[in-house]
Amino acid sequence: MSEATGVIHDIGYQRYTGPRLARRQVFGALYGHGVRTVFGFGRSAKAKIFPWLVVAVVTVVAAGVTAVRSQIGEVVLTYAQFADAMSWLVIFFAAVAAPELVSRDLRSGVLPLYFSRPLPRGDYALAKLLALVTSLWLLLGGPQLVMFLGAAFTTDRGLRGVWDELLDLLPGLLYAGLWAVVFASIALLVASLTGKRAFAAGGIVAVFLMTTPVVGVLSILPSRTVNELAFLAAPSSLVSGVGTWALGDRLTQGQEGGIPIGDFGPVYAVVAVLLVAACVSLLLLRYRKVAAR
Amino acid sequence: MSTVTWITARGLFGRARFLMLLPLPLVLIGLAVLCRSLGVDPGQWGPPVLVGLGLAVVLPVVALIVGTGVLGAEIDDGTVVHILTKPLPRWQIVLPKLAVAAGVSAVTVGVPLYVAGVLADSVRLGLALVAASAAGALAYSALFLALSLVTRRPVLLGLVYVLIWEGLLGRFVDGTKVLSIQQWVIALADRIAPTPLLGTTVSVPVAAVLTALVAVGFTLLAIDRLRSFSVAGETS
Repeated sequence: MSEATGVIHDIGYQRYTGPRLARRQVFGALYGHGVRTVFGFGRSAKAKIFPWLVVAVVTVVAAGVTAVRSQIGEVVLTYAQFADAMSWLVIFFAAVAAPELVSRDLRSGVLPLYFSRPLPRGDYALAKLLALVTSLWLLLGGPQLVMFLGAAFTTDRGLRGVWDELLDLLPGLLYAGLWAVVFASIALLVASLTGKRAFAAGGIVAVFLMTTPVVGVLSILPSRTVNELAFLAAPSSLVSGVGTWALGDRLTQGQEGGIPIGDFGPVYAVVAVLLVAACVSLLLLRYRKVAAR
Repeated sequence: MSTVTWITARGLFGRARFLMLLPLPLVLIGLAVLCRSLGVDPGQWGPPVLVGLGLAVVLPVVALIVGTGVLGAEIDDGTVVHILTKPLPRWQIVLPKLAVAAGVSAVTVGVPLYVAGVLADSVRLGLALVAASAAGALAYSALFLALSLVTRRPVLLGLVYVLIWEGLLGRFVDGTKVLSIQQWVIALADRIAPTPLLGTTVSVPVAAVLTALVAVGFTLLAIDRLRSFSVAGETS
């Protein structure tokens, strides 16, 4: 055997010895990226059309409501009623956003890449969910802020009026948060089932639209109990029910409104919590095992 | 039956996700049976079930998923190239696909509407709903098929039409009802079987003419767009 003549040169490969970001930063990056994705930041102009169309419509409605209030002095929509009135647009926004968040990753088969990082399965789903909740809340909360600013600058009772207005705004924002949590968890669960954005969007809309007429039918059945429990059947009326129970008069501010839920308010709150919990656990279950493709 | 028809039908039924469409008609039948068995006045439960659920939700949503699926799914996959490179006139691609889409939607929607119509009023109302919803399914399918060739995001644009134009504006701005397939379907069904359950502001001749116009016009548009179709990747 001849002597080895080859030489291994040290060409300076080095291991990375700097600080390594941990789970929290991965979660934060995924969350931040999620919120940017929903509104189309960092993506092509085409990706911005639909989200910003919805944002534009709700903002215009809020501006109109504010203008009417400052000119005529009549409150067309209270802060909480604004969320109720915009429910169709919220459904559409969820149908645009949720598939962008999860279906694209499923379709392009990048989930194994994500899960080869120090990222627990649950964190991926929760970061996406949190991103969608934040986006929906911004969608509903932003216009409410516009309405608040309009009311605050045109109030004729000085700081006292501004303070009263703020006290009206805060429950409205809380209520918008409830909308965001319920709608985001349902929409994301539906979207995570398919890699096709088209089917995911159709499925989300089908779930929300199909349940609304069920409420209409249940509330004319010849039983008072069924009538008062009917609003449990659809996500949007479920949220309204919880709002009516928890916020009461502050929701409508003395105007006609609210839905007749009788004494079943706590039932609505429990069902809402259970619904969100069930959707989130199903979502976590869905990401326990992912296919490469 | 042409090969394109066969491929399209197999593409629709060959996947498990077709089963996702089933809950919609089942809920419609279930609610109608529930109301009937509890003896609620049909005048009360008819409008929310027949119009609110059947014609306003089940028909457009089924037609949207099926209508954008027959061609849109192949465009998304890129497999549409295989059909486009065959020496077929474009109308022989569009028409079979439209026929499958309209047929599947009409059956999926027509059967539950017939059951609900019979339970609500009479066999005549059931048949009227079937006929009108079949016409509506054709119009919706032509619209959504053309959309899937005109834009890369046909489902979202279709949702804008169904949710915002027909749903939101149709409720608050009366004038937009003239240009709403949903209202035409209601007008046609009401003409065939006059009942107090269905009501609309759109006149029947206008509805009939516009339904035919939409069905034919968007089919021609689809054929025309397929003549010079460029296959691109998925939108970012």
